[in-house]
Amino acid sequence: MNPQSPLPSVEKLTEIFFRIGNTTFGGGYVTIGMLGRELVDTRHWISAEKFDLAFAIARVTPGTNLIAFCAAIGALICGVAGAIGAVMALTAPSSALAVLIAYGFERWQGNRIAMAAIGGTVAAVAGMMWATIWIILKPHVGGTTWKGMARNLQVVLIAGGAFVASRIFGLTPLPIILAGALIGFLWKDAKS
Amino acid sequence: MNLLVLYLLLLKASVTSFSGLGSLPMVRDDFVVERHLLTDHQLNMAVVAGRTGPGPFGLYLVCVAYAVSGIPGAFMGFLALITPAFLVIPLMRWIGARADIPRVRSAIRGLLLASAGLLLSSSVPLTLDAFTGVFSVILMVASFAVLTFTRIDSAWLMLGAAGAGLAASLFR
Repeated sequence: MNPQSPLPSVEKLTEIFFRIGNTTFGGGYVTIGMLGRELVDTRHWISAEKFDLAFAIARVTPGTNLIAFCAAIGALICGVAGAIGAVMALTAPSSALAVLIAYGFERWQGNRIAMAAIGGTVAAVAGMMWATIWIILKPHVGGTTWKGMARNLQVVLIAGGAFVASRIFGLTPLPIILAGALIGFLWKDAKS
Repeated sequence: MNLLVLYLLLLKASVTSFSGLGSLPMVRDDFVVERHLLTDHQLNMAVVAGRTGPGPFGLYLVCVAYAVSGIPGAFMGFLALITPAFLVIPLMRWIGARADIPRVRSAIRGLLLASAGLLLSSSVPLTLDAFTGVFSVILMVASFAVLTFTRIDSAWLMLGAAGAGLAASLFR
């Protein structure tokens, strides 16, 4: 933390999360980048090291990473009140907007023009889901060395096994996720 | 549907996922497959609504809850969405001290890989639902390519896809 930067009030912190969280499109990574620019580079309210720690731990916190990240940053800067303020400022307005959009979709079901536009976005979202899968898997794919091949085998067996267990055998997600964590724990990643 | 049950179902999905769309497999399992409260198409629309505006991708949970139980449901969805985030505060203390242990890192990696496999499983029926012909395939591939290989904001992608859908309908 830069000692020359006094800590903000909860209201001021909340205002920043409100502004950035509700005007940034593109999901978690983009929003986190914008928050880093504002909180670390511009205002010096938190050090880059603490920012990175919050990011890493938010990645392994259950739920939506971005919301956990905001709670972590809010807590680091202004305690529990900061965490609550940051999370509410980021999610409440955008949730209300999402409900309005969902309501609009319902109302436009019979409108040919609106449904043509929505049909286009539905197809785009399907593509986005495949891109999300690749974004999750990409950092875990190794190279062509023996260690890299071992990592690739782990990716294929765990991700592929989860796919088969869910799609072919109809297992529910919770035991599959727990099995993935257990396999990871027992089969230590070469890079670890 | 009982609002408490709705909250608990969404909380279960939220708390067992590690990314915005990571909860999708469990949501589909509970709401589409087991309880028949939503169709794949409705779930797709909820995902689209959640991704159209600003904010985290996990917002689709609020739209799912809205589709099931209206505004009160949406509020429950919102609570289920934000509840797990506060786990980060004790985790900051606990994992912060153990994050360098290789087996902990490896277990987290296994968990992420299993989540990706589950997301893959959920994406198949949702992709089939979104398929309406060659044009929808082009949009899917273009969307995948734009997100994977460029830094273009997904809001532009959504706008472009809506415009392309409109243009295609005019030429039909």
